[in-house]
Amino acid sequence: MGDSWELEPLSKTRGLTNRMTEWVVGLGGGAVILSIALIFFYLLWVVAPIFVPASIDAPSRMALTEQPSVLVDISENGDALFRVAANGHLEFYDAANGTPLATFSIDQPITEARRVYPNVDLYSVRDDNNGLWFPQTRYVVNFAGDVRTLTPKLEFPFGAKPIPLPRGTTVYDTQFADGTLTIAALHTSGQTTGTTVRLTQYKGVEPGYPLRQPKQVDIPLARSYAYSWLGPRAQWLYLLDTDGEVQVIGTSSIAAPQSYLSANVLPTGTTMTAAKPLLGRYSLAVADSDGGIGQWVLLRDDNGYHLTGVRRFDIDEPAQSIIVEPRRKGFATLDDSGRLKVLYPTSQRVVAELQTGLKPGAVAAISPRSDYLVAESSSGVVDSFKIHNEHPEISLATLWAKIWYEGYPEPVYSWQSSSADNDFEPKFSLTPLAFGTLKAAFYALLFAVPIAIMGAIYSAYFMAPSMRALVKPGIEIMAALPTVILGFIGGLWLAPIIEAHLSSVLSVFFVLPTCLFAFALVWWYLPERFTKPFSGWYGLLVIPLILGSVYASFSFGPMFEDAFFGGDSRLWFRDVMGLDFDQRNALVVGLIMGLAVIPTIFSIAEDAIYGVPRHLSNGSLALGATPWQTLVRVVLLTASPGIFSAVMIGMGRAVGETMIVLMATGNTPLMNFNIFEGMRTFAANIAVELPESEVGSSHYRILFLAALVLFMITFAFNTVAEIVRQRLRARYGSL
Amino acid sequence: MLTNTDNKSKNSLSSWWSSGEPWIWLNAAAVGISITAVVGLLLLIAIKGFAHFWPADVTQISYTQLTAQGPVSQEVYGEIVEQDSLPLQQYLESGGDSAVLTANQEQITRWLIKTGNRRINPPDFRWVVENQIQNRSTPDGLTVIERLEWGNAYGRLVRLTRSSGETIEGAGVWDALQEDFERAEGVRSQIEELEQGVLNTLNYELESLRLDKRRAELDNRPDRIPEIDAEVANIRAEYAVEEARLRELYRALEGDSLTLATATNEELVVPLSDILRSWQPNNMSTLGKLGHYSTSVWRFLTDDPREANTEGGIFPAIFGTVLMVLLMSLLVTPFGVIAALYLREYAKQGPMVRLIRIAVNNLAGVPSIVYGVFGLGFFVYFLGGNLDQLFFAESLPAPTFGTPGLVWASLTLALLTVPVVIVSTEEGLTRIPRSLREGSLALGATKAETLFRVVLPMASPSILTGVILAVARAAGEVAPLMLVGVVKLAPTLPLDGNFPYLHLERKFMHLGFHIYDVGFQSPNVEAARPLVYATALLLVIIIIVLNLTAITLRGRLERRYRGVES
Repeated sequence: MGDSWELEPLSKTRGLTNRMTEWVVGLGGGAVILSIALIFFYLLWVVAPIFVPASIDAPSRMALTEQPSVLVDISENGDALFRVAANGHLEFYDAANGTPLATFSIDQPITEARRVYPNVDLYSVRDDNNGLWFPQTRYVVNFAGDVRTLTPKLEFPFGAKPIPLPRGTTVYDTQFADGTLTIAALHTSGQTTGTTVRLTQYKGVEPGYPLRQPKQVDIPLARSYAYSWLGPRAQWLYLLDTDGEVQVIGTSSIAAPQSYLSANVLPTGTTMTAAKPLLGRYSLAVADSDGGIGQWVLLRDDNGYHLTGVRRFDIDEPAQSIIVEPRRKGFATLDDSGRLKVLYPTSQRVVAELQTGLKPGAVAAISPRSDYLVAESSSGVVDSFKIHNEHPEISLATLWAKIWYEGYPEPVYSWQSSSADNDFEPKFSLTPLAFGTLKAAFYALLFAVPIAIMGAIYSAYFMAPSMRALVKPGIEIMAALPTVILGFIGGLWLAPIIEAHLSSVLSVFFVLPTCLFAFALVWWYLPERFTKPFSGWYGLLVIPLILGSVYASFSFGPMFEDAFFGGDSRLWFRDVMGLDFDQRNALVVGLIMGLAVIPTIFSIAEDAIYGVPRHLSNGSLALGATPWQTLVRVVLLTASPGIFSAVMIGMGRAVGETMIVLMATGNTPLMNFNIFEGMRTFAANIAVELPESEVGSSHYRILFLAALVLFMITFAFNTVAEIVRQRLRARYGSL
Repeated sequence: MLTNTDNKSKNSLSSWWSSGEPWIWLNAAAVGISITAVVGLLLLIAIKGFAHFWPADVTQISYTQLTAQGPVSQEVYGEIVEQDSLPLQQYLESGGDSAVLTANQEQITRWLIKTGNRRINPPDFRWVVENQIQNRSTPDGLTVIERLEWGNAYGRLVRLTRSSGETIEGAGVWDALQEDFERAEGVRSQIEELEQGVLNTLNYELESLRLDKRRAELDNRPDRIPEIDAEVANIRAEYAVEEARLRELYRALEGDSLTLATATNEELVVPLSDILRSWQPNNMSTLGKLGHYSTSVWRFLTDDPREANTEGGIFPAIFGTVLMVLLMSLLVTPFGVIAALYLREYAKQGPMVRLIRIAVNNLAGVPSIVYGVFGLGFFVYFLGGNLDQLFFAESLPAPTFGTPGLVWASLTLALLTVPVVIVSTEEGLTRIPRSLREGSLALGATKAETLFRVVLPMASPSILTGVILAVARAAGEVAPLMLVGVVKLAPTLPLDGNFPYLHLERKFMHLGFHIYDVGFQSPNVEAARPLVYATALLLVIIIIVLNLTAITLRGRLERRYRGVES
């Protein structure tokens, strides 16, 4: 122990570099791993709002000038309050604090006022002289010195004079769309028994220009009605009385109205408490004294028109008034106890409710964006409720169950996210997409799994090593082939071939195995000294056989077609089997996506089979088993978890594949398993619709939900597969 | 490899069955089918892709067409594109006329002929049933003209009219055409230079000045505005000068025209400025055709697309793909390697790290469209939208970064491919024997020094393999790009001579998307199909080369460590 070693302290720079490296690697590594986790959480964060229940905030109360209101409304942005007071004043207030902004007047007491359907800024105001005024609100926003000022304006686009309603008018309805202004008025003039409805229609209306001469018709009715509403584009007219009697009159031609139907929409033993048409005016919401609200939709079939009750809400207390959303099909109800409920038809649920002090018949309106409800709580006092209700049309049922949509004769699964019409009811059923995804994956795996696994068996167990060294990377390169190319080949090359030579393509599935077994039998009887050198090369030997049988199938295909399919296989499938044929169908997807999945499954399964310890198979062979018996009873049994995980990973790939499905199918959301028709999958649907979808809309979030579902499905499949593989590896190690 | 070595009792069919021999053949067939599918697919793309550039002979075909007025004799020039044979039933079902057929004809052979001359003699592709054809020949002197618009023209040369009033007819037309064409080419390249160069730059400067002005307004700096206005006026003046030069050049192209005669002796006048290329395939020698072929390939690789992408080249798509992939690899390499280093060298090995490893592995199997959705939502709308609010307020509401673009596409694909790099790098790190690390540490090196001098150099081939695999995957990926930045036609390249040269916010074109778009969204699929095959071929070649490189590298790596370990 003479000399003692002493470690010099680490120089400063070396120490610093060491620590810096540690930090950088730690930070960077952590960041990468976090950002990977971020994918999941971000998707979840976007999806979450559709599952957050809607709510109504406690109202903010505004005292306006002391006058009873005939109408209250709130502007698009929710910043200005518009009120029609009974004394003829049309007033604007700041919606935040109730400060008056502007007042206009028509110098006549007013009896009734409402929006002109389907507009949100155009109103019809009826004075006590039976004159109908049409004021329109406009808001001019100015930024001066960073202060936003709002100047409300009032215009009368149809002229400064009122349009007279018939004498004795009880109820009326107005509609202005596509330059046509229609007024329907129920009146009692000149009739003793029932009432008469007068339709007045102005065509070619240009706001700001005088109205032209209208077309007018009086339709006498057999009885009196309490409500009348114009249907979509004034194509028909609903008449409804408090006993539930409904009459629908077709008015597509004003000159020749025809009665469509008469019906009763109330359950027996109840009385009507309120009723309103919903946006689009295809359906009526009718509340009864049992606390139910029925949705009745006008449907047309071969036997004419029917008013069909598609669903019934049960809200315990009878709704005394119904307030409809102007741009969605939802509505709110008020009952005797002042309870406010917001409902939505498609999802058939009460999305939010709040106890308010409102009287049942209170003057109220919902804002164009359905985010505010304003109501008069007492004369001259207006309550403004903020409603958080972005996605009322989504519920577990609308996403996954059959829904009875407007215009459909029965409940269906349907995905139809957008249309040209504003009053279109979006159909967000994920079921057809999930079905399509499974259908595509099923047909792809049907083709890929046998080929990939059998190929893996041969490659790992029977193939000559020199051939295996070439085949394995060759097939693995196929995995790297861009799917857009596979999709292109499928859609533009394979699909037309299959369409033109369907019987030939189908006969390949019979000709090839037959030829193969025949060849194998001949091979069996060949002398061993001839066959022996080829024993590991069967995979190459069969290639000419495959090409030959494909050629034979295409040569004899027409004969095959004549013999079995009466000369035209597509016709035969349609007429005899009831299977329609699309050019881009599940068969094409199955074959092409199968090609994309084969390498994945092949590679993993091959590894699993090849990795089975040699002494197991050697032992079996030594005991006298044939190689085939050894393979089936020993090797495959041992490798089966690995093969299972290969299939799982292949399935994950097939489920999420986008381009192939997009290009090789027609992308129609069908719900059948017909191999000759297409499908629409989650992935393809996202690729098609997401770029056009409005950020933050229900549609956008549902597409994110679809992505999240895909993410979780594939992640689950892969995790199961990975765990199985790891355990298998451990077992091989222990063997 | 195992073989059937037992004694077969040859005569019994049941022993054949029980030996499992038929099943072995079935398995072999599965391999055979896979090989056939891969090779067949590659061959199909290669043949169709390479064939696209070959100058096919122009055939003169006369056939009878049945019309309501009775049979009409038709005479066309065109290239035979495809031959097809189909059964009678299907022919009739697809609207074919039975009157052209002979009795008891079961199989119908028809040809697809590209007749060009889209404007005067539509349609430019037509199916002709063999029975209808009366005569078919490939006479010398038929000329193909590739036009700027309306596709190819086929015909006999009639005369060349020069703006000077001079006309050339007869045998000299071809040579005169070549001469004039060369001159026109020269002018055209000047025009292009002017449009792509000076005018483009001036335009860009005007736009950035407009934004400067808006910015000055937003910042409440009215004092800066006159200065900007003066500069705008300057540039406008400069612009006017250049524009006049451009008009001059265009005028120089006007007036010259070539007159062709179609098969029906109709005259077709093509302005010389519309001619991109002309050739007489029937007169060409094989060598001449080869020359033409290589020029075609070169043009395909270097030209801009024309006619809604159905003609011309794919240069912007190649450029966009390469640039996007380069950016992506710049992002993915450091992060992938650092994450792998962390997991393997620094993190405490335990169940947590094992879990992370499984998760990273699985991410490679998550569908690419999911990454696209994330990219659109998070990068484009969230990050991009906020960047716009902070730094590009002057151009709002038009988004700068809040819309799909190059940088978001690269980031999205980097996220998509980072598991590939991590897995590959980790594999490389595990292969490095412990003894080497310990040796380095024992000699007094710090952990960082060991990492940089010993571990990383040894792991570099596997890092490279990972990056190459990532690049190969990114180059072929289309679905997420459709959401985060690819467009069918980008007006400008993302890299140009205007400051800051690399425009990360721009949208770009991509080979894979080009295939999807031209093959499925184009109005004239028939005309576009050969081009799609050629594009597909290019993409396949790129990806196979990249993968083969990765496989070779991996092989070399394995051999190298076999040395170290022993």
